[in-house]
Parts: sequence; structure tokens; C-alpha cells
Amino acid sequence: MGSSFYLVIVGSRDDPVYEADLGPSSKAPPVPEGTKKEESKHLNQFIIHSALDIVEEVQWNTTATYLKVVDKFNEFLISAFVSAGNTKFMLLHDTKSEDSIKTFFHEVHELYLKVLMNPFYEVNHPITNTHFDSKVRLIAKRLL
Amino acid sequence: MYQTPVTTTSLSMSVLPSLSVDDSSSALLASQRFVSEACLEFLIMETVDTMFRTTLDAETDREAVFYKLEMLGYRVGQSLVERLTKDRPRFVDTLDVVKFVCKDLWTIAFKKQIDNLKTNHRGVFVLQDNNFRWFMRMSTETGAQDSAKKAAPYLWFPCGLIRGALANLGVVSVVIAETHIPNQNRKGISHQDSVSIVEL
Repeated sequence: MGSSFYLVIVGSRDDPVYEADLGPSSKAPPVPEGTKKEESKHLNQFIIHSALDIVEEVQWNTTATYLKVVDKFNEFLISAFVSAGNTKFMLLHDTKSEDSIKTFFHEVHELYLKVLMNPFYEVNHPITNTHFDSKVRLIAKRLL
Repeated sequence: MYQTPVTTTSLSMSVLPSLSVDDSSSALLASQRFVSEACLEFLIMETVDTMFRTTLDAETDREAVFYKLEMLGYRVGQSLVERLTKDRPRFVDTLDVVKFVCKDLWTIAFKKQIDNLKTNHRGVFVLQDNNFRWFMRMSTETGAQDSAKKAAPYLWFPCGLIRGALANLGVVSVVIAETHIPNQNRKGISHQDSVSIVEL
């Protein structure tokens, strides 16, 4: 399996705002995975949600916004980024590349701010904007 | 029918930290963006006026207008604060949050800092602004006392703004605003506005 990433944005009331499966960045031909891929999808979500508790623990120890790798599950690493309004951005990845992930988080955060500026968007509601989605995938392709 | 106070125009700008621009935008937009302060003041004045006009029974139901203006400010405060804290580290405790509101938020919204901050260390903060910028040019013929009373609805939006900002930074609170006139003899407005924040 090439390097895969799974991004989740959780609001300040612990409600899911956005999630995206940013697939493999390598150009390897896709292996016919079938049910295996579906299982891993459920697993990704589960892993990230269980890491939420750890993020909440760690965020009080530091005033920085980028919390590096907060949790490890088998071979997966989970990095987190917390904004001042307590919006958590979490990324599940299996390669270790702190700098690019930090830049990735900053760019996604800026995109999120732009969504916030929309007066029709209510804070902590799910983001259904397709433009946002395509932009996130573009950034992921560029940086990860 | 609510009377809009008379103001004189000014030409000054206030700056918001600009977000990064997409590649598709023109080079003109890539430079620092400014907001004309006169436009902002007019917009805010007109918002209050519109709320009074569009609410049923505005004279008897000031609560409804208050609710509308405050919730408007709440939403704006929420997004504004998320944007303003973009690159800075997170806050440690409530006092830190209130200090941020006094300095950074006040500078962005009103171009100056709070003049006086008092607290009773039990959850109540009093922020005092001796020259509230949005009121600087408001005056009525009947003098300072009356204009202070008439200016009260214009404070509801800033109250909501502060409440939204605090709420998004994790401090649930109630914000109340008062106006005092320090010098009763003068004809112009020299407001001493104080905002009390009660932490719930």
C-alpha cells in the first residue's frame, strides 16, 4: 500500500466537521483490494476518534497549535493540529514527515478560515462545500 | 421610529490580517486589503436602524432587536477571533483570553486598546474604554445625557462581538455594556464606556 492519509476536522463541541480519504500519493497501480479497503476505511475513522482523547489531554500541556505525533496504532501515526477556537485537525499517516505535515495543516487551517468567513456557514456544522473538498485534495497532492 | 444620530465622515482605514490568496486571483488582490472606516461606521449604524425598522413592534419589543443584533455580533465575533488567532500560540487561561480581547481584538475592531481592565478574580471583568471609536461622532441636540441613552442599542452589536469572540476561545460569558459621561458640562460626546464580562 502506498502512503495513504486520512484527514478529519473535529469541531469544538466534538462534532465531525469534515473528513477526507486522501489516497495514496504514489503512482503505483491500485491493487484490487475489495473488502480489505473498506475495512481499512472503517478502521481509519475508528483510530482517529480514539486518538481524540489523547489530543485533548496533550493540548493542555502546550500552547503551540501544532501538536506533532500524538498517537501510534500498529504502523499508523496520528498527528494533530489544534486551532485557538479548539477546532481539531487530525491526520492519520504512515510515513514520518513532520515539516510537510505541518505545512499541510497550516494550509488546511487557512482554507477552513475561508469557509468560516462565509456568513451562511454555521460554526461546527459539517462542511459540504465541494470546492473546499477539491482544494484540500489539491493541497494533499502537492504536499504529501 | 428610531433617529439615526448625525455623524461627520472620516477617511481612515483599519487593517485585518489578510488570508493567503488563491493562485487564480489577480495581483491587485494579493496586496494588503483595507476596509474604509467610514463605510464600516455607516454600515454598523444602518444595521441598528434596519433592525428597529424590520422588527414587529420595535418600540415595545426592544428585546427582539437586542437579540437580533447580539446574535449578529456573536457570529461575527466567532469567525473573527478564529481568523485573528491564526498564527499565534493557544491561550493558557481565562485571563489570557480576556487580555487578548483587550489588546488585539480591540485594536483590530476599534483601532485602540482598552484603557482600563479591572477584575474581581471571581469571574467578573470590567473593561473600560474612554473614547469608544464607533461613538466618537455621534451627538444629539439635547446634550450628553440623552445621547448616551440613545446610543445604547449601538452597543448591542459590539457586546455580541465580544461574547462570540470569548465563546470561540472557550470562555462562556455574558457581556453587558454601560455608558457613563465623565463631564456633564461639555456638549460633545466624550464617552466613558465600560463593558462588564461575567463568566458563567
